Amino acid sequence: MSEALPISTAFVREHLRAPLTLALLVAIPVFFVLIFASVLGDFAEALGGTLASQSATAISAGWAAAFLSGTLAFFQISSSRGADRRLALAGLGPVRVALSRIVAALAIGLTVSAVAFLTLWIRSGIGHPFHAAVAIFTFAAIYIGIGALIGAFVKGQLEGSLLVVLIFSVDAFSGPQMTSNGLVAVTPTRNAANLLIAAGGGQGSPGGDWIGAAAVALAALAVALAAFWFAARTRL
Amino acid sequence: MAASAAADIEDAGRAGGVAVLRVEAVEKSFHRGIWPMRRTIEVLKGASLEVRAGELVGLVGENGSGKSTLMQIVVGLLKRDAGDVQRPERLGYCPQVPMLWDKLTVDEHFELFARAYGLDDAQRDRSVAGLLEELQFGKYRGYRIEELSGGTRQKLNLALSLMHEPELLLLDEPYSGFDWETYLRFWEMSQRRRDAGMGILIVSHLLAERERLDRMYELSEGRIET
Repeated sequence: MSEALPISTAFVREHLRAPLTLALLVAIPVFFVLIFASVLGDFAEALGGTLASQSATAISAGWAAAFLSGTLAFFQISSSRGADRRLALAGLGPVRVALSRIVAALAIGLTVSAVAFLTLWIRSGIGHPFHAAVAIFTFAAIYIGIGALIGAFVKGQLEGSLLVVLIFSVDAFSGPQMTSNGLVAVTPTRNAANLLIAAGGGQGSPGGDWIGAAAVALAALAVALAAFWFAARTRL
Repeated sequence: MAASAAADIEDAGRAGGVAVLRVEAVEKSFHRGIWPMRRTIEVLKGASLEVRAGELVGLVGENGSGKSTLMQIVVGLLKRDAGDVQRPERLGYCPQVPMLWDKLTVDEHFELFARAYGLDDAQRDRSVAGLLEELQFGKYRGYRIEELSGGTRQKLNLALSLMHEPELLLLDEPYSGFDWETYLRFWEMSQRRRDAGMGILIVSHLLAERERLDRMYELSEGRIET
């Protein structure tokens, strides 16, 4: 793991050196919390859901972290597949490349979660800040898995990024309290969304949601590790 | 233009023609499309070749003849369907299209590959200094890849494959984008390393380079002819 850290640092630098990415790290959470939240509330009302304004604002911070983490994880694989495989072949091996990538993805996920959390805090205050912070990071972790999985199997950047957006859209608009009939009962972020909605409203959450969110986040990170390994694998 | 990397290899002396790469009856097909439109393209149909230490060997063939495919099988980027490949652990590979990270600098690439090759700081510094001098792109050390010209990217691509003084060097059309002077310098570098005992296999589609090579294989119809 100590070998992976300097390489992860380089991988993080690789992303943060793009000025547009840096701008989006700030702009997307602000856009989601200030504008997307009200759109989400309107959609929930139109679909017969019960998502309250305060909850919609809170959950938007989670969606911001999810969207950024998912797309950045996708591009971590998509834009570096060849170079990563070459590094693995040079002697680092696919496992260490994958470990370095997951550490970098988590560092980026933590950063975007922190920006989303701060935006939410400044915008509306949070009843349970610790719960909200964990829930927002859970969103990020889940989408690291989704973005990396798509990156490993879809080589086209346009197709892959559209697929990330499609999954994100289905997930966001079929989440808890969004519809009257529970159209898509099982979405990857359902438990994390419950945590964030409750935290935004100043309420605690049942243990089932905590366990569910942790299990899905850990599974997503395991998927991400496997996807990073798959993208860097050698065929000796 | 002293070449410290080449000088180090020279110390080791020539290995007396020991085979450093042996490829035997390698077969490879690609499958495209989905059933019932699925089609199979047979690229390699039993390709065999050998490279010995201290030898500069060419692999030529028309576009699409499978030269890069064979190279990628040897390196470990592609899986072969049949056949055998024996190669040393310490291998250098310069791909046809540079595989680099656009946002990282030249020095950061050297740093990452030095870790992958297991070089310590002193070995890395010595190797990098020699390669920058040989290929004359030291002034670009702090530049990101996206800021470099195609030729300078190709110099870095080549330098990364040489950092650890490999026993076997695999070069897939390594001089695309080089100007004439760099092209000539590339051949001098290759010949110096060949003389120091390195086994080198160069993929090319230029038969005009025949004179610079010790031996040449021609890949045609998926098979290799000497």
